[in-house]
Parts: sequence; structure tokens; C-alpha cells
Amino acid sequence: SSMNEEFLKKWQMGLQIFSPSIDNTSVSERKRAIKLSADVAMASLRKGTTCWSRALIQKTATEDNFLVRQMLSGIKEEPLINKKLPKVMCHRKIVRRSKKILMRRKSRSAMEEVAAKKLVKKKTQGLRNVVPGGEFMSSNVLLIQETLDYIISLQTQVNVMKSIVDAAEAGIER
Amino acid sequence: MDLSGGFGARSDGGGATREATGLESLHLGDEFRQLPSDNNAGGGFTPLLELPSTQPVRLLYFTDSSSSSPQAAAVTGISPPQVHSYGTLTFPSNSVLMERAARFSVIATEHQQHGNLSGETATSSVPSNNSSVKTETNSSQVVEKQSNRSGKRKDSDKKARSSTNKKKNKSSEENEKLPYVHVRARRGQATDSHSLAERERREKINARMKLLQELVPSCDKIQGTALVLDEIINHVQSLQRQVEMLSMRLAAVNPRIDFNLDTRLASPNGSLMDGSFNGTAMQVTWPHQVTETEQSYHHHRQLQQPPPQQWPFDGLNQRVWGREENQDHGSDHNSLMVDFTNLHPNQVKAEL
Repeated sequence: SSMNEEFLKKWQMGLQIFSPSIDNTSVSERKRAIKLSADVAMASLRKGTTCWSRALIQKTATEDNFLVRQMLSGIKEEPLINKKLPKVMCHRKIVRRSKKILMRRKSRSAMEEVAAKKLVKKKTQGLRNVVPGGEFMSSNVLLIQETLDYIISLQTQVNVMKSIVDAAEAGIER
Repeated sequence: MDLSGGFGARSDGGGATREATGLESLHLGDEFRQLPSDNNAGGGFTPLLELPSTQPVRLLYFTDSSSSSPQAAAVTGISPPQVHSYGTLTFPSNSVLMERAARFSVIATEHQQHGNLSGETATSSVPSNNSSVKTETNSSQVVEKQSNRSGKRKDSDKKARSSTNKKKNKSSEENEKLPYVHVRARRGQATDSHSLAERERREKINARMKLLQELVPSCDKIQGTALVLDEIINHVQSLQRQVEMLSMRLAAVNPRIDFNLDTRLASPNGSLMDGSFNGTAMQVTWPHQVTETEQSYHHHRQLQQPPPQQWPFDGLNQRVWGREENQDHGSDHNSLMVDFTNLHPNQVKAEL
């Protein structure tokens, strides 16, 4: 649970950056501030070692550059661009046709295998869409590793936020 | 003698190092005797068959010419090729060795410096370029950092290890030191390097998928990769949605977004700044303090001076909601701070 505490610290730090600005009076503004600082806090826990964390920081930097800079200034330099460039997107139809040609005539079981593989490929693509920076992960192995780490971090984030919210809401009811 | 060095196999560094003295005493018989012990149980002589046919011949040539010491000495190093009198043979054994070393030495050493993750991806694609001369293939694994960081990755390491357990490899487990891992083909399995490398990748992926399955509670009993992936995607999406919801709720809870909790919950005994705060492990900072000390955003510890004289406070066990108190302070009505003084510290601590 030291990770919980670190996350909380960083999140608070991020929130304090918003505190002087008075525009944060609308709920949506505040929610945005909360969420962005939570995301950056979560990502900065990894200190640039994972692909998703870098991608997430960059994403939030496009939304609020100032926040990211402030939050990361104490820790390290802003993480650089992702090291891997996005995959070259091949024209799908052409790829499909060439694969069909290569397939020629295979047995039924092979066809099923191919269909299963296609399905898996679709799912992995779906996973890439969900995990930040997924498009930049060139191998499936990497993707799954990153997903693992991402899920753990997300869970931490959710746990801490939940406890804060629960406590706050419980306090209100009094 | 190290003919095994010639196979670029187990020796460190993967370079082709031969001992000059060994070469001079090289006999074909030695060579053949060595091979079966080096290679897998399945093929006593198959590796021999895979040897380039010229190799024994070249070695023969070399021993003939090994009388001259400079040649012998030069074999050990990466020496400039000399033209033999045997026509096109230019340090035949050396070139063969270097060829092998080039083919099999994983370019991991370069890639390793790029950092663990990109290195892993780069090196995992290298084995596919290897030719299929050998039964042994070298594939690189640069997963140590990942595995070291979270103990959960131990499983995947163990998996890799158990797959090599059946063989008599020694150096494969030293992922941190060696640039590549040797994997032997099992009995009855395809032995070309392509399929070996593919199989390794598959095993890696399967190991990690298992970890994921353990992590995500909902896909324990599911068979099949696609469904498991589905569940994982759903899980990630649900977590992301939860974050959104929670941040919305938090924003709605009160008009101010900032909260100041002392995060010294890490200290086991909880540090109490003031004896009057009974049973609290948490320091509370007050909003107006924060506005005064805007410079010290990043220094939480400086903000922890509760002004007891201003706030008649009966100890934090009472939940006094910050909003009410803030209205007492004229200076606060512009501030956007909230204090979660009501947060029962023990509750929060327990939940964390």
C-alpha cells in the first residue's frame, strides 16, 4: 500500500496546482482537474519505465500541458516521445487478399485455426485501443505485459479514489 | 579444444573463440565426438548432417597449415583474413565461426541498451532471422527488469526455465548477464530456429496471459484466448469508467477540489503533531494556510501547522465538515480549498 500513498501524494500535488485558479467552479471543470491529476499521478509512479505510462502522460499533456509540467518537474524531465513509432498501417484489403492467395487450399481444421487467429487478432487490436499507447507496442508480448501493469495501476487508482470519495461523501451526510 | 565454441553456443559472449593450441591438435574424430554431446538427444548425427560440408574439410586444411604460428595465433582474434594457398579459403575456420557467431549472436547487446522494453521487442524479432543450421537457437530475453519489478512475473521466468529444464543447458537462466538464452529443442519437436523462436514467443505470451487471467478475476474459468482477451478488455474499460465516475463524484461532493491530507500515513505509528488530536494518525492542514503558502505546493510538510487558536477544535474524532468552518473565515470565501478534516483518519488509513 505504499503505492497507494505515493499515488495519493502525487495526486494531491497535482490538485494543488489547480487551486489558485478560480475557474474551477463548474463540476465538469473540477472533474477534469481531478481526473487529469489522478492520471498523471498514476502514470508518474512508473517513472517512465512502461510504455503506457509515457503514453498517458503525453495524452494528458495535450490536454493540460501546464499541469503535466508542474507535476513532473520535481521528479524528472518530461518523458520523451515514445520510442517506437506506430506500426505501418497496411491497407487491409490488400493484406487480406494476399493472405487468401497464400492460403490456397487448406483443410477445414486449418481454416478454423485461421479464423480463430483472426478473432484473436481482432481482440488484441481492441486491447491496443484501450490501453494507452497500445498502438505503439510492437509485440504482443509487450502488449500483455503493459496491460498487466496498467491494470494493476488502474486498480490502485480506483482504490485510492474510492476511499477518498467514500470518506468525503460520508462526511457530508453528517 | 573448443569445438563447442565454434557452434557459438554456450560460451559467454557468443563470440567465436578458439584456442590456437586446440586447433593444432584438432582431429576430425574429436569433432565428431563432441557433437553428440552438444546437441539434443534426438539427433546424434543430425547436427553433423547440418554442418556445412566444407567445415571438416576446412578444419583439415587448417590443421595442415597450422604449423605456422602467426596463423594459429591469429585464429583466436578477429584477424584480417589471409589468403591461403588453398585457393579461396581465407581462414576458413575463422570465417565459419564468425559467420555462425554473426548469425547466432543476438544483437541483443545493442538492443539491451535501449531499455528493457524496446530491447525486448527488437530482440525477439531477431531469432526469426536466424538460419536453420543449428539445433540450438539463441533467443534473447530482456525481461528481467519487468520481472524484477513485480514479483508476479516470476511465473513467466519459471515457465521459461521449466521449458529449458529438460535440457542440459547451463547458462540459459542468467538472463541478466547473458545477452541471449539458449533453448533446446525437445524430443520430437521441430528443430529449425524459426519454429523454436516462434515457440518461445508463444510460451512467453502464454505465460503472461496466465498472469493476466489470474489478475482479472472474471476470466479464471474461461478457455480460449479470444474470450480471455475480451474479459480483459472489459475489465480495463470498467476500471477506466470507474475512475471517471469517481472523479465526477468527488467533484460533485463539494465545490472545492483541493484537499489536504497529510500523506504521512506511511509512518506506522502515525505522527501526531499535537497531543490534542486524539487517536488520529493524520495531520490536517487548513485551507487558508495553503493560500498563504502557495509557493510550497510541493512541500506538503510545510503546510501542517494547524492553527488551534483559530479553530476551536475538539480533536479530529469529531467530524466537522470543512465547509461550515470555512464560512467563519472571511478570507476563505474566495479560496478553492476544501479540507477533508472530517475524513476519519483511521478509516482512510484502513482503506488504504
